[in-house]
Amino acid sequence: MARRSVSAAEPPPAAPRPFWTIARRDTAAGLLFVAPQLAGTLVFILVPLVLVFWYSLHEWNVLANTFRYTGARNYELLSSDPSLPGVLLASALFSAGLVVLNMSLALLLAVLLNQKLAGIAVFRTLFFSPVVVSLVAWTIVWGFLLQHNGGINGTLRLLGIEGPNWLRTPATAMLSVIVVQVFKNVGLNMVLFLAALQGVPRELYEAARIDGATRWRQFRRITLPLISPTILLTSIITIVGSLQVFAQIAVLTQGGPGVSTTVLVYYLYQQTFQFHRFGYGSTLAILLFAIVALLTLAQWQLRKRFVFHER
Amino acid sequence: MNGEISARMKVALYGLLCVLLIPFVFPTWWMLTSSLKPISDIFVFPPELFPTHPDWSSYAQVFTVQPFAQQYWNSAWIAAVVTAATLAISSMAGYAFARIRFPGANALFIVVLTGLLIPSEVTIVPLFRMFLKLGWVNTHWPLVLIPVFGAPSVFATFVMRQFFIALPAELEEAARVDGLGRFRIFRTIALPLARPALASVAIFTFLHSWNLYLEPIVFLSTPSKFTLPQALTQYTDAYGGPMWNIQLAAATLTALPVLIVFVLAQKQFVEGLAHTGLKG
Amino acid sequence: MFHCKTFASFRAIAGGLALSLALAAGAAAETRLRMTIWSANEAHLKLFNGIAEGFKKENPDVTVSFESLPFENYTTALTTQIAGGNAPDMAWIFETAAFDFVNSGALLPLTKPLAATPGYNLGELSPAATERWSKEGVLYAYPFSTSPFAVFVNNDLIRKAGAKTPAELIAAGQWTWPQAIATAQAVAQTGKGGLVVRDFNYQAWQYLSSVWNAWGAAPWSADGKRCTLADKPMVDALGFIHDAIFVKKAMPGPGQNVDFFAGDAAMTITQISRASLLPRDKRFDWDLVPLPKGPTGDYAIVGQAGIGVLQSGKNPAAAAAFVAYMTNPENSARLAQFFPSARKSLLNAEVLGKTNALLSPAQLDRVVVAGIATGKVMPAHTDFARLQQMVRAGLDAVWQPKADIPAATRAICAQIAPLLAQ
Repeated sequence: MARRSVSAAEPPPAAPRPFWTIARRDTAAGLLFVAPQLAGTLVFILVPLVLVFWYSLHEWNVLANTFRYTGARNYELLSSDPSLPGVLLASALFSAGLVVLNMSLALLLAVLLNQKLAGIAVFRTLFFSPVVVSLVAWTIVWGFLLQHNGGINGTLRLLGIEGPNWLRTPATAMLSVIVVQVFKNVGLNMVLFLAALQGVPRELYEAARIDGATRWRQFRRITLPLISPTILLTSIITIVGSLQVFAQIAVLTQGGPGVSTTVLVYYLYQQTFQFHRFGYGSTLAILLFAIVALLTLAQWQLRKRFVFHER
Repeated sequence: MNGEISARMKVALYGLLCVLLIPFVFPTWWMLTSSLKPISDIFVFPPELFPTHPDWSSYAQVFTVQPFAQQYWNSAWIAAVVTAATLAISSMAGYAFARIRFPGANALFIVVLTGLLIPSEVTIVPLFRMFLKLGWVNTHWPLVLIPVFGAPSVFATFVMRQFFIALPAELEEAARVDGLGRFRIFRTIALPLARPALASVAIFTFLHSWNLYLEPIVFLSTPSKFTLPQALTQYTDAYGGPMWNIQLAAATLTALPVLIVFVLAQKQFVEGLAHTGLKG
Repeated sequence: MFHCKTFASFRAIAGGLALSLALAAGAAAETRLRMTIWSANEAHLKLFNGIAEGFKKENPDVTVSFESLPFENYTTALTTQIAGGNAPDMAWIFETAAFDFVNSGALLPLTKPLAATPGYNLGELSPAATERWSKEGVLYAYPFSTSPFAVFVNNDLIRKAGAKTPAELIAAGQWTWPQAIATAQAVAQTGKGGLVVRDFNYQAWQYLSSVWNAWGAAPWSADGKRCTLADKPMVDALGFIHDAIFVKKAMPGPGQNVDFFAGDAAMTITQISRASLLPRDKRFDWDLVPLPKGPTGDYAIVGQAGIGVLQSGKNPAAAAAFVAYMTNPENSARLAQFFPSARKSLLNAEVLGKTNALLSPAQLDRVVVAGIATGKVMPAHTDFARLQQMVRAGLDAVWQPKADIPAATRAICAQIAPLLAQ
């Protein structure tokens, strides 16, 4: 990156103004600095987004090697797809379950760890450790534990309980996938909540305690509002992230049993890369994008209502 | 949370934490110990916490069933390149958006930020065709280019910008008065101060690349080009049923290095993340 | 300075490119052909490589290699290779995917190249064998394997469980499905596997046709337009299978992996071509018998595999020549030890016995020859990948301990009816 450095000499007062004023230099510098990121965003994100829409209006038959314009046909197929309601339901269940479990567990752990006790840092590290374990490795181990004759059912049998075939029964399959994902990533949210909790001034709690407020009241009236920006941000990240969960489902259940764990992303993958329906897959991609955009915007709007601002 | 905690409550707290810890720690433990069990012991009842006859042969088989060493190297160098490139691009872009006033800065930032709304799953089809036309399907190029310029690096730019905004500007102001150019200031003053943010960006970029699953299975079809997440799922016998002990050994080999680095550098991991400015 | 350094590196890269281009050009005279297959079996590969060597003797500049893709996702992986611009020159094709490949125009018409090969004798292929692989009288893929399904039996396990062996049941004229399940159940109670429908694994339900054909059931009508999954024969057949799995525990349940050829199961239903998996050291006393009788009496079912030449490959003409060589009468006889040929001259026990050391003439006659002569081919349809998935997802509701089979099959029919109508 060639960047001209400015010599320290002052221009002589009578000379004309140089071309490279501070402002112009700043503009050039600014544009050059952001150029790689901007170019990348354009080429690898925005242009493909337009192209996805373009492909959704076509059908690409791989074997016959044709690429035909079909207009709105893929969208008609979308609205009449008998599998789609099930897929959307699975996605909704997964995201809702994941967000609720993840956020409440993260908050609980953060509150518990927000103590000045010996060894608390060790616990924090251990709770965080799944975040750095390889995603597929983590999923494979859980898959191994969840087998009908695996570790979890083995432990249950020691207690005299006959465990279900976790990954092959519709209800428990979805639960299993949610739980695997929650334990993998809750450490991240826990750390963020912990940082937020530690940013709450202790004096507020002292004052409340003197006034006779119970712990729970303190939590509701002081803690929650003051960490609400963090809650909002992590919930956006968690929800958007939940709509992208793919590897866990591919490894654990392959969308089964039935279509109970076929979330939208997995359905997209099936249609596009297993059945090679690239046009229809693009239509599903547009649907996914719309959902992500809507959810994010909705949550961002909600911040005016729920997020506490000091000013 | 506040006030005195009685000894009873302390014990209760530790107890609760230990119970909660089980699903976080037990799977990793189970992965380690089961990889050392012979296949016949893996599903034995009652389940054994410790392998009674440690059997290291599955670790050797990891490398014979697949070109695992090659796949390990693939994941490693891709992650390294992606991390380095992302650090460079996002730190520059983040710095510019935070510090340099230039026309259209805000608009361009919003344009870049929209990348966060568009997950790679949405754009995978056109990206596939794009790389197909370039002849780069079944190469590692998509695995490097997509994360470096896609959503993960947009997030990195966002984080770097937040950090630079929060950084006190006096040193830089002084340098500007002295007439130093933007790049010089960036390289010699701002970057060194940005170490914590750079560290956490490096960490989550590395992890993201290390864990990439959809892109490898879409783009790669030759086993010697696979990355680790992909390779881990290929340890199946002729039936399609997993060869558990070998698969778990491979999983352990995948997870262990990062885990060890994490244990050694846990402070940087955890605290760097907390200070990414995500508090809102 | 910065500029000089980049220019120097550009020069280095350009030089390197030129060199590799020159090397590639020099090697262009040699033709490399690639065939994708779904077998990784050592014996099979030895045979194929031997045939490739023979071809090389007559065509010294052509080298043929065989790429093994995993069996369970073979068609997907192959189509992805084609989509990715990396199409092989030749490919094995499942009978279930035949319609899609043949109708797509992706395959090179083979009738001319095969007929033009001296001594090929294309006419001795029976129309029944080539029906699925032809369109409007032109052959698009050669059916190199017409493999009947049969039951491999582990007599050691059965005798240990005190049950009747299939051979005894056949002699007594009692080789029916209920009897077969009773034997399987007895063995399952000793802790080993009972009857395994190989390759089914609760995913590839098309292999269950080896069972439900006994009831005269089929997933869709003969013309492929109507869903018949909810009809009585299929519901009865599924009910029988469900009972065998969940009540009698005679068949492995979802998630259980049992391998007959490792000696862990009483019986397995699979294609004859799997005989190569039998342990050579005769670890257990095995037998090969036809499928048991069902409510509709005797029946036979065959799986087929075809070899096609892909038009998008780089050397279709050379590839067609290799296919002609690999499937000529002489090599067909060699292939026949694993892959029963569709050539009429090779369909008798002596020929098959000559090249197939493991099976006895009686077994070959009873199972192979009769099977091929009367067998129905496994179900197939256009857009099979999607249909397969939808039926598979719907059948998951059947593979639960408490299942409402009529309701489940009706639901599947509702889902796939629009697809079948096309």
